[in-house]
Amino acid sequence: MAQDLTLIRNFSIIAHIDHGKSTLADRMMELTDTVAKRDMEEQLLDSMDIERERGITIKASAVRMFYHHTDGKTYMFNLIDTPGHVDFNYEVSRALAACEGAVLVVDATQGIEAQTLANVYLAVDNGLEVLPVINKVDLPSAEPERVVHEIEDIIGIPADDAPCISAKTGLNVEEVLAKIVDVVPAPKGSVEAPLKALIFDCLYDNYKGALSYVRVFDGEVRAGTKIRSMATGNTFDVTEVGVFAPTWKTVDSLSAGEVGYIAASIKSVAETKVGDTFTTADNPASEPLPGYKHVNPMVYCGIYPADGAHYNDLKDALDKLQLNDASLVYEHETSVALGYGFRCGFLGLLHMEIITERLEREFDLDLVTTAPSVVYHVYGLDGQKMVIDNPTNLPPAAEIEHMEEPMVKATIMTPSAYVGTIMELCQNNRGVFHDMNYIEEGRVNLHYTLPLNEIIYDFFDSLKSRSRGYASFDYEICGYEKSDLVRLDFLLNGEMCDALSTIVHKDRAYAKGRAVAEKLKDVIPRQQFEIPIQAAIGSKIIARETVKAVRKDVLAKCYGGDISRKKKLLEKQKEGKKRMRQVGSVSVPSDAFMSVLRING
Amino acid sequence: MTALYFHIPYCVQKCRYCDFCSVPVNDSIGRYCDALKTELQLRRNQYPGLSADTVFWGGGTPTVLPADALAGVLAYADRLFPFATDAEISIECNPKTASFDALKTLRTAGFNRLSIGLQSADNALLQRIGRVHSFEDFVHTYEWARRAGFSNINVDVMHGLPGQTQEDYLKTLETVCDLAPEHVSAYALILEEGTPLHADVMRGAETLPDEDAVADMQDAGMAFLHAHGYRRYEISNFAKPGYACRHNLTYWNNEPYLGFGVAAHSSMPEGRNWYRFSVTDRIPAYLKGVARGRVPEADRILINTFEQMFETVMLGLRKTEGVDDTAFQTRFGCSVFETYSEAIEANRRRGLLDESDPKFLRLNARGLDLLNSVLLDFRETNYWELLR
Repeated sequence: MAQDLTLIRNFSIIAHIDHGKSTLADRMMELTDTVAKRDMEEQLLDSMDIERERGITIKASAVRMFYHHTDGKTYMFNLIDTPGHVDFNYEVSRALAACEGAVLVVDATQGIEAQTLANVYLAVDNGLEVLPVINKVDLPSAEPERVVHEIEDIIGIPADDAPCISAKTGLNVEEVLAKIVDVVPAPKGSVEAPLKALIFDCLYDNYKGALSYVRVFDGEVRAGTKIRSMATGNTFDVTEVGVFAPTWKTVDSLSAGEVGYIAASIKSVAETKVGDTFTTADNPASEPLPGYKHVNPMVYCGIYPADGAHYNDLKDALDKLQLNDASLVYEHETSVALGYGFRCGFLGLLHMEIITERLEREFDLDLVTTAPSVVYHVYGLDGQKMVIDNPTNLPPAAEIEHMEEPMVKATIMTPSAYVGTIMELCQNNRGVFHDMNYIEEGRVNLHYTLPLNEIIYDFFDSLKSRSRGYASFDYEICGYEKSDLVRLDFLLNGEMCDALSTIVHKDRAYAKGRAVAEKLKDVIPRQQFEIPIQAAIGSKIIARETVKAVRKDVLAKCYGGDISRKKKLLEKQKEGKKRMRQVGSVSVPSDAFMSVLRING
Repeated sequence: MTALYFHIPYCVQKCRYCDFCSVPVNDSIGRYCDALKTELQLRRNQYPGLSADTVFWGGGTPTVLPADALAGVLAYADRLFPFATDAEISIECNPKTASFDALKTLRTAGFNRLSIGLQSADNALLQRIGRVHSFEDFVHTYEWARRAGFSNINVDVMHGLPGQTQEDYLKTLETVCDLAPEHVSAYALILEEGTPLHADVMRGAETLPDEDAVADMQDAGMAFLHAHGYRRYEISNFAKPGYACRHNLTYWNNEPYLGFGVAAHSSMPEGRNWYRFSVTDRIPAYLKGVARGRVPEADRILINTFEQMFETVMLGLRKTEGVDDTAFQTRFGCSVFETYSEAIEANRRRGLLDESDPKFLRLNARGLDLLNSVLLDFRETNYWELLR
């Protein structure tokens, strides 16, 4: 029997990293007896190790709870979790589209951050009711009144009666639950209408296969229903429908207004795209739900096994990760310096870091990653457009008419004391200033247009260090612009090292070439011969450094007959040598390829 | 014939760079000498009929023990492992730990080679690295040793010390050469983890000369010693003709040696097998174990023939003479040149070999400087291929 729509509330929690989203979700699950306190694994929603360590949520999921309101009725709460990072902007927007309301959690000691603001706007754009909540009021440095004003001033929603809570201690969390019933509208929809279910997340389960998390807007789905993807036209037989509460639980059906998962004869998550609409194959809806788009990777890099023998292990690991993460793309590539590996595409920098870290941690792989690259549009003299995501594939300058690079619109929120240094940083990174407005006394909002190419290296780290961690940053891609770009190559002992090539703006090439050459000089160990390091644009050498030949490589000491100690030192040296890549006659340590990025802008 | 090593793990004070097994002098000294005697007896039962042609007492600082106690253990060793008539019997000593009388006692007891740790002639530098003596103390010890009848003396010096310049180092060598010892050991400082100096360097409280400065010091030092009649016969060892240290040559020739005392290492054939083993580095465990009739070993590894071959090369190439192919063939039944033809060819191409004598696998001066990387090539050898 379909649930009474007036007794359903679908909502998300919007919060900045560390502002307490997961803790609040935990308390809600306890208060609704969804999970017993003693079974509570801290922060249940974030199930991956890496998420836990970084305090961020990568994959969305949904939890069903039942709340006994003081009005005597029992409400079904579907809490839809949203990824907390700009790389997953599209996923966030789809998760929000599955809700009628959002709980905005703001840290009473910190205030609103750029990321939160972006997500609140996304929620408002999706027509959600926003329920502000002030968290961490138990801390001595809490300033709830200031934060209330900030919410009213910046977001423009009343926050007078926002619950002041401590998710950590549980203070006033009950009040939040009651307010959700009052503030968040009940879903609308008709069980009789043809099925319309919005896919807002996909994941792969070893036993159930590819699972789609859906919000049903109209109609009903149950095991045995034949469903069709409205984006691809593919049809599937539903084998199971269920909810997460907070472990898998099969239900008879999911009907209009409800949230849950669908298991069907779907081979991989790549077949079910976030934002797609499922309908019934025999009585399809006429229109899909709005908002679906195909998401392209924004950042590419080469990923290679540190030991060439582990190529197949890396391939298996990528295959497995892709089962769960349709936004990860990769294809085989060969580098002269690094051998066999993969060109991998990511939604953004964080996504890239998460994937490489998971490869190393969960699959125990030792990796060499090359400098990330954005996707360039290159127009040949013949007017033909090429899409280049690997600097090595850039045609010679003489064959290029012009190039375009992706730009982002960036919002930076910072205490006003750091405005000067942040403007300098943006300027150094070819930023174009748009405007600056005071959010309140002492805090400003800066708007810039920046090339994506400039922010994928260490922009975020520099921003954090220049602002002592206080500035927050959000960006969205805003199209391509014509730009004067060149490929910067590096030669080691006269031989080009393809894995070090990058595409940079012409005005920055000299400085970058010099900085990287200096860095390489430090990371490449001395060898038996002198090694010239050259930075070049085409055939023109723009910087040169030299790694001097090694003078002494010998153990001076006689360890009183302790031969095994000598042998151990030798073994250590041998291991170190194994971790080196051979570029012509030069041995280059694996991390040299990535350390090249750590050049301060 | 074999070589005997005795480890005396006591010092007046540990130097800031030292990671050898040593502790401040304490009241376990008496029991330690007794334990050495028991250990001699236990090992004699294990290796009956063995005699010694070299004996070496190292540490620590052996001379912090009373000279008569050392003499007693030495006499006991001579009874159980009879010393050859021309045996080389060395003892290490630090200035300020041995009086003229003590040196006289040692010489009379049979010690015939004295190795004195000077490290530097610069008193400020000595203090900086935690040595307990001055240069003047060293000169006294040296003169007493000569008067006591030591006609074979080694002096240890170091380069690459904190704040040391090439000038400082050459000055030390000059004062040493003026005294005309028979042997000089000239080591580069190795910054070992876990030492106070390492900690100081890590937190920036102490700075060491850079890689190039150390290499310059070493090269200048070698030239200086060469000009003063000292021939380099091993990476860090220099001697007047006929005074190379026979005990240390045992190590570099990969011949058997038996170690006594805590942290002492041994390398011994047993039947058809060859073992390397070492004694625990904990004094109480050593004393207790030996008293119960069993030497507490820290580890024991069987060295297979391929490893023995590699070790012979690894150690032999430290000598300027190189690896003697005749001896190699006698021991292993194959030529070092055939066994390691690939590695040898690689290093020939790099110009690191001295091929003046076809009977020796020998490195030239540059090859000795790069010994570690040379050995990595030898480590790659696939012995099973040779058997086919």
